[in-house]
Amino acid sequence: MQPLTETIANATRLLLDGNPELWGIIAISFRVSLTAMLVATPFAILTAFALAHFEFPGRKLLVTLFSSLLSVPAVVVGLTFYLLLSRQGPLGDWKLLFTQTAMVIGQIALCFPILVAMSHSAFQALDRRAWETARTLGAGPTRALFTLMREIRFGLFAALFAAFGRIIAEVGSSMMLGGNILHYTRNIPTAIALETSRGEFAQGIALGIVLLTLTFSVTALLQHLQQRRMSGQ
Amino acid sequence: MTQAQFRFTGIGKAFGERRVLKAANIDLSAGCCVLLSGRNGSGKSTLLRIMAGMEKPDRGEVDFGGGPLPWRRCSHYLQQHILYLHQQPYMFDGNVRYNLGYALRRGRDKKTLIAAALHWGGLEAMANAPARSLSGGERQRLALARAWLRRPAAMLLDEPTANMDIEARITTLALLRSLKEEGYALLISSHDQHHFDDLFDVRLHLGDGRIGPARPSAQRITVVRS
Amino acid sequence: MRRLPALLLAALAFLSWRAIADDAIVRLATTTSTDNSGLLRDLLPRFEKATGYKVHVIAVGTGKALRMGEAGDVDVVLVHARAAEERFVASGAGEQRHAVMYNDFVLVGPNDDPARVRQAGAIGEALRRIASVRAPFVSRGDDSGTHKKELALWRAAGIAPTGDWYREVGQGMGKALQIAGELDAYILTDRGTWLAYHGKLPLALVFEGDAGLRNPYGIIPVNPRRFPDSNHAGAMALVDWLTSPTGQQAIDRFRVDGLRLFTPNAKTATSQDAAAD
Repeated sequence: MQPLTETIANATRLLLDGNPELWGIIAISFRVSLTAMLVATPFAILTAFALAHFEFPGRKLLVTLFSSLLSVPAVVVGLTFYLLLSRQGPLGDWKLLFTQTAMVIGQIALCFPILVAMSHSAFQALDRRAWETARTLGAGPTRALFTLMREIRFGLFAALFAAFGRIIAEVGSSMMLGGNILHYTRNIPTAIALETSRGEFAQGIALGIVLLTLTFSVTALLQHLQQRRMSGQ
Repeated sequence: MTQAQFRFTGIGKAFGERRVLKAANIDLSAGCCVLLSGRNGSGKSTLLRIMAGMEKPDRGEVDFGGGPLPWRRCSHYLQQHILYLHQQPYMFDGNVRYNLGYALRRGRDKKTLIAAALHWGGLEAMANAPARSLSGGERQRLALARAWLRRPAAMLLDEPTANMDIEARITTLALLRSLKEEGYALLISSHDQHHFDDLFDVRLHLGDGRIGPARPSAQRITVVRS
Repeated sequence: MRRLPALLLAALAFLSWRAIADDAIVRLATTTSTDNSGLLRDLLPRFEKATGYKVHVIAVGTGKALRMGEAGDVDVVLVHARAAEERFVASGAGEQRHAVMYNDFVLVGPNDDPARVRQAGAIGEALRRIASVRAPFVSRGDDSGTHKKELALWRAAGIAPTGDWYREVGQGMGKALQIAGELDAYILTDRGTWLAYHGKLPLALVFEGDAGLRNPYGIIPVNPRRFPDSNHAGAMALVDWLTSPTGQQAIDRFRVDGLRLFTPNAKTATSQDAAAD
């Protein structure tokens, strides 16, 4: 059994040497998770805006629903879509199980509630006068919506990063829906799970370092921006 | 006597059981300043917001030159031509320039127009300051300059001098006068009646959900150009 | 706002480029043992180079691999659990079993061998020694081929393993070995995974070589009559290549730490497997 320091040293070497297999896994992770974010974000923000702005029957129920979906384990999401996408499932004809598309679908389902819940509270916290001022100054509904998004951009960034953080690091749904296929659906978390089970701890730690570095720099950046904004006032 | 630009008739609005407006009638005309008094909670703000197309009344009609129209057919027109100023104006998260530019459509003259508005509102010194760092009086000037850039037909101002020191109030009143002289129809709601003695042409009172002259008698008052 | 539709389109295009060469992809569900040992990483690039197919390997336990086959979610399965494989074919989900190779199971345990398994003469006796002193024993407990084999061996030894010394971990072979190492427990493992791990674990091989420990692998394409959508041509190409002299030779030459893990047996399938079962 290698000591921890040696494992970390090996991991760093793997990363710096540009180990193609390792970086390929990282690329797949980013491609899948960024695609999921790209698809989910516009719809999530529109949903959040509608929940904050309009009064309609069932609105409160929907808000509660989205907040409770936050705590559904990734494996349950994975299992649900596994049953739907399996050849014997209702969507089997799409032939999507064990593809990157299936992983993207699972990750959309995972990040959507976070995006909605966090954007919704950001919209909710915004002064009602922002919308009215935009409208009375001649902005159409679309421009007014973008104005609101600009006003709450830090809340939205926080929602984006939280959602991205969840899906880039989740293993349950990616494992079930992607199948951990090398060079195709093996992403950072499923690779960590596999390398750990194989006893290749250096690889696992290397990928863990990537995840940690990523989340650390994103959080630091967000805090930096927010602080600059505070002192700017 | 000139034809009113906007003639609102029979505006009614209830919040649940509470009937804030019963049958309010009011006219707006170019270059004419209406001062609307009324106790707190008498429904002044609600009426102004309805007139600016921001809220839907339960009933009422509006005539802007082509005969009375039901509400659903004219709210968009109202939004486009009548501007509402909050008692405490909302400043977008950006500098003064950004807030002024918001009132403009995309165009080549944007820089020139913003410069003119900065001058008009006496805001040149703080053009690049974050709008939210301004004092109450400065914010009101910025809000008026922003409205001025938008060039609506009428402006509805909700308590424009509330909580202001005397200096800020004098500047604000000067700007309001200049708006009136440029031909805007103004409606000012306030309970500090005497601030506007030199400004208004017509004085109306909102009470019990209806509008009457400050000396309560008739139901409808035709706004006369002074 | 104007950029949004373009972004969405780009996202879709991004996703669809993979789907183009659909029938060049063969989906193989197999056991963690073949994948973890590195055998497939050695064999499949050669197959892909020779035929132009691309193999997507989904490594799970045998039970799950067969269920994926039964659902038609994969094109072909490579597993080791004879009884289950025969049920898989008999049910009409699998087309036909082709023998590929075998390896064998070994019993590993703590170096000081508290149950004195090293002195056992047969696998049944070895298991009875462990049970009698209630030495910790880690079971895969995941319905895999190895798990099924282990249960069959306990049955044959006349023991129903229960109690706090018998720990079902519900994990893959490698993980289960790590757990056994941490717990100073005995465990039944395929030789391949053991060779891949033995340097990293405080465990030693304590029993091997019994005929009852032989572990035959079969490859079975899913039935194209039941799953017309499956890539049967690709599955058959893989079967043909693995059972061809080239494929068999590649299996024979595969080494981990200089040791041979798998014995090819495609040609002599009937006799070898009969001996094994």
